[in-house]
Amino acid sequence: MRDYILRRLLMLIPILLGISVCVFTIMQLVPGNVVNGILGIEQTPELRAIWEKKLGLDQPPLIQYFRWMGNVLRGDFGESFRTGAQVFPEIISRFTITAELALLSCLTSLIIAIPLGIVSALKRNRPVDKVVRVAALMGVSMPSFASATLIILFLSKAFGYFTPVKYVSLIQNPGTNLEIMILPALILGTTMAGSVMRMTRSSILEVMRQDFIKAVRAKGAPERITIFRHALKNGCIPIITLVGMQMGGLLGGTVVIEQIFSIPGLGQYVLTGISQRDYPVVQGCVLFIAFIYVIINLFVDIIYTYVDPRIQYA
Amino acid sequence: MKRLFALFVCTVLLLSAAPTFALADGGILRVGTDAEPIGFDPHTISAVASARVMTQLYNQLVDVDGDLNVVPELAESWEQPDDTTYIFHLRGDVTFHNGRSMTAEDVKYSFERILDPNVGALGSSASYAGDIESIEIIDDLTVKFTLKQINAPFLASLSSWYCSIVAKEAVEENGDLLSADGGTGPFTLGEWIPDNMVSINKYDGYFIPDQPKVDGIEFYVMTDSSARLAALRTGSVDLIAADTSMLPLVAGDANINTLSYQSRNYAALCLNTTLPQFSDVRVRQAISLALNRQDIIDLAYNGEAEVSGFVPASLGHWAVDVTEHPLYQQDIEKAKALMSEAGYADGFEVTLIVGLLDSLRDIGAVAQQQLAEIGITVNVVNKENAEYVALWSAHDFEIMACQNGAGSDPSRGVAFFFKTGNSANIAGYSNARVDELCELGAGTTDVAQREEYYKEAIEIILDEEPNVVIASPREYFLSSAKLLGFEPSAAEPYSLATAYLAE
Repeated sequence: MRDYILRRLLMLIPILLGISVCVFTIMQLVPGNVVNGILGIEQTPELRAIWEKKLGLDQPPLIQYFRWMGNVLRGDFGESFRTGAQVFPEIISRFTITAELALLSCLTSLIIAIPLGIVSALKRNRPVDKVVRVAALMGVSMPSFASATLIILFLSKAFGYFTPVKYVSLIQNPGTNLEIMILPALILGTTMAGSVMRMTRSSILEVMRQDFIKAVRAKGAPERITIFRHALKNGCIPIITLVGMQMGGLLGGTVVIEQIFSIPGLGQYVLTGISQRDYPVVQGCVLFIAFIYVIINLFVDIIYTYVDPRIQYA
Repeated sequence: MKRLFALFVCTVLLLSAAPTFALADGGILRVGTDAEPIGFDPHTISAVASARVMTQLYNQLVDVDGDLNVVPELAESWEQPDDTTYIFHLRGDVTFHNGRSMTAEDVKYSFERILDPNVGALGSSASYAGDIESIEIIDDLTVKFTLKQINAPFLASLSSWYCSIVAKEAVEENGDLLSADGGTGPFTLGEWIPDNMVSINKYDGYFIPDQPKVDGIEFYVMTDSSARLAALRTGSVDLIAADTSMLPLVAGDANINTLSYQSRNYAALCLNTTLPQFSDVRVRQAISLALNRQDIIDLAYNGEAEVSGFVPASLGHWAVDVTEHPLYQQDIEKAKALMSEAGYADGFEVTLIVGLLDSLRDIGAVAQQQLAEIGITVNVVNKENAEYVALWSAHDFEIMACQNGAGSDPSRGVAFFFKTGNSANIAGYSNARVDELCELGAGTTDVAQREEYYKEAIEIILDEEPNVVIASPREYFLSSAKLLGFEPSAAEPYSLATAYLAE
């Protein structure tokens, strides 16, 4: 197992190197650069030259790449071209916010989807199954920005309520933090819940047809034990895979919700970076997200061995 | 499964261990803004989102009032022994936010920083402080500027935030002022949570008595306009930047006030005059005649804009009224005749670049239909912000819809955008007489004389239409009814030092 984890971690090196080349090349190819944005309407050729020199953009791309990569290898992700702030601490502080949102969304999605998926499977083709399936389809189909806007408008009109505008961390003020996070997490969670519920339903249906369930029932186990200890545990591998992928997707994919609710997460940081052509920010964020994505996948693989002891990595 | 759940909860808790922030209470004005500030160094930041905050932190030597008169700010008076020498007498009661008194030394340092080629300050160009030859300290409160040549708009240009007076020690301590505060303004920089909020606190030592009124201001970044409006409705913020589409939604709401002012900005279709079809003045005039500006205003600005030339009415005595100008009246027949005369009876195909603002995209769509009537097939291409700006600065387009600011002096509105070779002259326009008039206008300080020069230049440019100007929009704010004392204007869009909250 330890060797396996080590091997997987070693694979990170070529993955991250490849991604660094890709993201650097793409950023260079995208038209426009940060200097245009800094100078705006005030740009003159002289000022452009000063700023390009200041930011190292006057160097050939290959030199820029190796200089950046060399610093990254020494743990220095550089400074934002626009704000001058160190990129890495900013990534970490924003990642904690986005990760909290992603985890809460996952939690919401699991709390909604697993029970509904089980009910739907057990009551297959009965009215309750049909209602749940239609609800799930709606959850999958409704874009989160639309539901977010509708919910904000509804709450402000009907109850005069708006989420706290100033971001505070969970440690500093758990109540306010959860109040800020609960709506976005519910919206993202319900969107995710649709697909998780459908996956749960089909996994449970498949497991329930297998012989070992008949054996469990034959030995007189109560239905609760049959479903939770035997059917769900055996059927949850595809669910874990799906949730793992959704988690990874959320790390860069909560940006619209972050914008609507003014949550200072990683998504907004990357988006602002892209629109301002802030190379160190975009490159640093993409590398970091890729790293986390790989780690989440590794984590999912390790969970498999816990859920299904037959799976072993050597 | 239980263990997994516990792990989940623990991870949520651990990841949330972000740094703590202080909370303020009482007398705080909360503002919902539409964009994230980039930083607060007044010498190197041009972004409007930053300016809202920076203009509360810093002062300049002089200010320009609503009637475009230069009025005292940090300098209580000034004299001009000759056309290239300015002597400023500074106020004696000004202190920086660290408590130290501001002196002539600080003025000298600030302008040396602006002119330092390693800083790349925006005020280093000839439009601002670029013509300064030397700065001499006469005594603690007197400083003398000598210019390389006569520069009539120099005094007015010192009112720009690019020419703010900053404290040397604040720059030296932090390397720059992007996230530091070295100002003398009514507020001091508080905390900054990027992509969420910036707070500024009342500076008790501010040199204008009884200002600011509030204990502090919190600017919240709310890029989503419906969220911004909901926040105002529920009392989560007191003031928001609004667009015209919000106005019908709050009409009749007794708790919400609408504030507005006529801006000094104008929208235009910039024609690349270096291309064969647009080098012919008749084609440019035909385009101007083909447009129905009121229709564009109704669609792009919900009617909240005025037909305008490139020196809008908000520039007071410098402005030239275009509402009666023959090229500003829609006349399709005349436009078609001009097109045939120019050899384009069958029209031509052209690409129109839009971007940056929704109003510019809307203008593109309406112009496309209106120009079709004289045979011009317009392909509207929407560009993402950075790409739009890149095309703007490379002058790489056929037609580009842009919004320009006419500034507070015709040297901006006229010379900056139309003098041969200027970087903002994206139309590539060149007229020897206009160039000469711009130089004459900048080379004399006699206002009546300047007005004569610039009016002649404006008339020439209006006839030649390198930029087909459409309209000057009104800018809007929505505020809660309890916010008083806030009177935005084109000169002071965010004059928050006088704002206060009624109980």
